[in-house]
Amino acid sequence: MTDCIIELCGVTKMYRSKAAVRNANLKIYRGEIVGIIGKNGAGKSTLLKMISGHVYPTSGELHFFNRAAAGEQSFFERMGVLIEQPGLYPNISAYENLKLLAIAYGLSDRETTIEKLLRLVGLDPKNTAKVKSYSMGMKQRLGIAVALLGSPDVLILDEPINGLDPQGIVEIRELILELNATGLTILISSHILEELSKIATKYAIIHQGEFAEVISKEELQQRCEERIEISVEEAREALPVLERELKITQYKVVDSRTVYVYDEHIRIRQIVQELAQHGIMVDSISRHKQSLEQYFLERTESAGERHD
Amino acid sequence: MINLLRMDFYRFTRNKIMYLLLLLFCAFQIFGIYMMKQYAQPVEEGGVQIGNLTEIDFIQYTISQPPSWMLIYIAVFTIYFYMSEWNSGFHKNYISMRQARIHSVFSKMAILALFVAMLFLTMLIADGIGRRMFFDQTDMGDPGTLIILLASQFLLHWAFSLLVLCIAMMTKNLLISLSAGFVLALNVIGMVLGALENQFTGTHLTQYLLINTLVRVKDLGNMADLIHTFGVAVAAILILSYLAVRYKIREDLN
Ligand SMILES: Nc1ncnc2c1ncn2[C@@H]1O[C@H](COP(=O)(O)OP(=O)(O)OP(=O)(O)O)[C@@H](O)[C@H]1O
Ligand SMILES: [Mg+2]
Repeated sequence: MTDCIIELCGVTKMYRSKAAVRNANLKIYRGEIVGIIGKNGAGKSTLLKMISGHVYPTSGELHFFNRAAAGEQSFFERMGVLIEQPGLYPNISAYENLKLLAIAYGLSDRETTIEKLLRLVGLDPKNTAKVKSYSMGMKQRLGIAVALLGSPDVLILDEPINGLDPQGIVEIRELILELNATGLTILISSHILEELSKIATKYAIIHQGEFAEVISKEELQQRCEERIEISVEEAREALPVLERELKITQYKVVDSRTVYVYDEHIRIRQIVQELAQHGIMVDSISRHKQSLEQYFLERTESAGERHD
Repeated sequence: MINLLRMDFYRFTRNKIMYLLLLLFCAFQIFGIYMMKQYAQPVEEGGVQIGNLTEIDFIQYTISQPPSWMLIYIAVFTIYFYMSEWNSGFHKNYISMRQARIHSVFSKMAILALFVAMLFLTMLIADGIGRRMFFDQTDMGDPGTLIILLASQFLLHWAFSLLVLCIAMMTKNLLISLSAGFVLALNVIGMVLGALENQFTGTHLTQYLLINTLVRVKDLGNMADLIHTFGVAVAAILILSYLAVRYKIREDLN
């Protein structure tokens, strides 16, 4: 996990005078699953296009393995990419599409590779229907197969779950985790934080072309978990009461004055009462609860009036 | 490079449009010869009858008659071959490979050369059939001269296909590039510029324009004329391929 394989240094992409991505800084380490989250038009696809070498940054630099990418196209070679719609010839079958690409890659055992891949993404290798007759979800699956064909080290998926049925979402999610377990580094975008929360190890929240926040899975979990935050004079003195009298087992001492309690059954009133009986004054106590979605909306300032 | 070329070749051999174009071209070429027979003026310019022309002169004659149908077929195929890939977005799947941007342009150029060659072959066959059927004429002319003519016309037509390729790449639009292809095939621009030049400057620079060179009846025995013809073809090919590669390298694939 210590290899930084991709680094964005102040990357900006302008379309005419409008910045699609502005001053993006991000480090991606080997083996990570990075979730890029943003609303429509936030700049997710543009960001991924720059990382995969499809469009060039207007300013800023991309580094791969600590070396500048400019002029070194070969860095992009190890990437499998699915951005926006999968690039497929509509008038030939899935197999033929993959075959064309396999020829371009110079693969030798094309037939077995392609059949294996199609099965992997849940498509029938024997299906000779033209791709234009495919449903959106089937195209999306085929797009993932296309991205995987060159056996990449880095997989870039732009909203891969779009158009998939619940069954498909679970399958693709499992596939992503499986691939990640074999060592692939994965970048995946979505406009739903919840959707990525089950797989990503790191999140980059992008808003109007700028990173609002880059946060690890652990940090995010911490911020979004449900807990009671208790503030007292001396946290040490409160712990025996919490443990013995209230039978609280899941808690964390954050600092000398603050304790987080994770037990769900406990009531705030109970805690205050019990602590007071043992002569411990509570300075403040509150239930903290924030859904992933709320968290995301807050970062992207579109929550409007919140009532909680 | 080789792999991308293989891929493009695979696609080339499996698309019906290519065969359809060649078939249409062949049919219309033979039909054209039939029409020449039907409506042949008794005496052509210079007192030569079409029926008496050798294949060399016949090619010179047909290519110099606007509109050049070959150019139109070439434009249609070039735009089809490039735009079908572009519009599908398939190129994005392999463009991250090493040097793929450069190689994909070279591979397209090679396929276009192949198509132009096949078009010429079709023309020879159609001419052979048509002239035999309607004029009972099989004289090919001097083989060496014929080869020089075919070689020069091949290069000029290939250069034209690269011109259309550049237009398709840069406009990324089927209708615009098709219209541009037709206008170029009719040589509207070349003729207008030529007329203007004649009118105002008295120079003859426009004769070095690609399509003006292409449609001009060539004096194949004349060294200066050959240098002019091959010079224009080679220069156009070099310039256009440079432009295409340069454009592709910098292009944003949105
Ligand atoms: N080729 C382009 N030309 C001009 N503007 C563009 C282009 N591509 C993107 N943009 C602009 O850049 C901004 C970011 O677009 P982008 O496609 O990256 O957003 P996104 O986060 O992927 O959105 P979505 O969730 O809808 O896919 C948008 O405002 C868009 O209008
Ligand atoms: Mg997008």
